[in-house]
Amino acid sequence: MTVDAVRDIFRRVLEPDASSVGPPGVGAPGIGADSDFFALGGDSLLATRVLSAVARECGVELTFDDLLRAPTPAGLAGTIARTIASVPR
Amino acid sequence: MRVVVVGAGLAGLTAADDLAAAGADLTVLEARDRVGGRTHGIEVAAGSWVDAGGAYLGDRHTRLHALLSELGLKTTPTTMTGASRFALDAGGQPQTRPGRFPPLRAVALGELFDRLDQLATAVRVDAPWLTPDAATLDSLTAAQWAEQNLPHRDARRFFPLFLGELMAADPATVSLLHVAFYLRSGGGAGYLNAFQGGAQQDRVDGGAHQLCQLLAGRLGQRPRRSGRLGQRLRLAEPVRAIHQDGAGATVHAAGGAYHADAVVVAVPPLLADAIEFRPELPVRRAGERTGRGCAVKVHLVYPAPLWREHGLSGWSLSTAGPLLSTVDDSPPDGAVGVLTGFVTGAQARQFAGRTAAAQQAAVRAQAAHLFPQLPPPISVHITDRLTAQYSRGCYAALFGPGDWTRRGPHLTTPHHWVHWAGTETSTEFFGLMEGAVRSGHRAATEILSRYQPAGRSQ
Ligand SMILES: Cc1cc2nc3c(=O)[nH]c(=O)nc-3n(C[C@H](O)[C@H](O)[C@H](O)COP(=O)(O)OP(=O)(O)OC[C@H]3O[C@@H](n4cnc5c(N)ncnc54)[C@H](O)[C@@H]3O)c2cc1C
Repeated sequence: MTVDAVRDIFRRVLEPDASSVGPPGVGAPGIGADSDFFALGGDSLLATRVLSAVARECGVELTFDDLLRAPTPAGLAGTIARTIASVPR
Repeated sequence: MRVVVVGAGLAGLTAADDLAAAGADLTVLEARDRVGGRTHGIEVAAGSWVDAGGAYLGDRHTRLHALLSELGLKTTPTTMTGASRFALDAGGQPQTRPGRFPPLRAVALGELFDRLDQLATAVRVDAPWLTPDAATLDSLTAAQWAEQNLPHRDARRFFPLFLGELMAADPATVSLLHVAFYLRSGGGAGYLNAFQGGAQQDRVDGGAHQLCQLLAGRLGQRPRRSGRLGQRLRLAEPVRAIHQDGAGATVHAAGGAYHADAVVVAVPPLLADAIEFRPELPVRRAGERTGRGCAVKVHLVYPAPLWREHGLSGWSLSTAGPLLSTVDDSPPDGAVGVLTGFVTGAQARQFAGRTAAAQQAAVRAQAAHLFPQLPPPISVHITDRLTAQYSRGCYAALFGPGDWTRRGPHLTTPHHWVHWAGTETSTEFFGLMEGAVRSGHRAATEILSRYQPAGRSQ
């Protein structure tokens, strides 16, 4: 999953009203690759929705602690990539 | 214009305040020997008041904030920093975790919140009975929905705790349409659940009961245009019947009959339903399946907020109960430490049936298990009276299957000279103090716009 795709998930979860009108796939203007989800106003409830979206979109189940350790789009995309790589195929 | 207001809770007194300001000749009839209804302060230590009823508010609760500042009341933030305690496995030891997130599968909870969000987004919040598929949504209980839609065990485990905390609801009795409506009405699950930035951000410094006390005081000070003497507010005056004819209404209370050009009934639906109306209401205000909501607040008082010294926020979540959650409600001056425990939903019904001694013992045992690092509380205050006779539903009535589709369209429709207020008549912030305030303003506006032009002659 790309950094932009994670940014898009952050945006949909944090700004639900914007996601219903904005075109998908366009990164959110206020959300950079290194923006911290919790500093952007995300809380634990919204965090679970980031994780369910990640699971839905790339089949990887991360934990709440994964997001706490890597709370940015770049960080989370890295975690996702490492998790996929570590799964034996 | 003579107006009788039935019920001196936040809704009734807000309506009365607006009507008195506009010059109406007003009488407020209250069943209890105090004002405030579901807001109620108790003094847990000299000068330290806590809320046994409604307590928390957020920035979106704009009418409540306006009222607070008009009355000179301040708010204080709810503290929520530090780690939480979780007792989610029967028999196991509680665990400490950073923040508020329970040790459950995050993806399972995320799916739960995604689904709840879909339901809430689809609701026609101003008229839930017009929601697409309203009949189906209103035929299911939340428990039936969870059974069919939540594949993960952790989501099924968390759902009752969440509904209990948020709405004091037992999933087995509340309508799914009501849950969806409630979430939307309160600003979404995220807003309703959050402390900072959400509906629990602040409390009223010194207690929310002060709102009604100050409103009642102001009512007594307003000059009466008619020049007649007499008290505007009558306590211990339960209303039993309202009879109406072409000329107006007669409100029959324990202590006498009151004639009025208009009436505001500002009591919860199950109590409005206990009033005899002549002519009868087209649809009853509550029915067999209308739930009472059940919440018992427990205050554990410590010499100081000692949990903070252990890096704990005071927040905890337990599946076994009786306290399903606890939160730090210490007064800002730090004179004492207060943990508020919530017993809600099915737990509350069981708990309320126990003796006072058994309740105390159960709470103290649970506190010792959850917070072994703390000394025993100095005192434990248990308020289940609020669920009693003149509230019948805490935090608010819970509409059961069929209620919204049958009763919804009549929720705010005047019955001849009778207008409706109360938090359960507000489609905005239903069940909350904000909803009560908004409903009071609405009822007053309805009456003033209906009668004012003719009343100008004086
Ligand atoms: C334990 C608890 C916790 C809560 N927590 C929160 C919270 O944190 N935040 C929040 O916003 N809200 C909370 N609420 C809800 C909030 O308190 C209510 O929404 C609000 O106070 C309701 O106001 P009301 O005027 O609509 O009804 P009420 O306060 O119930 O007022 C109705 C009044 O009518 C009187 N009455 C009833 N029948 C008659 C009769 N026949 N004749 C005359 N008088 C009658 C009653 O005695 C009462 O005084 C909580 C409620 C409870 C119980």
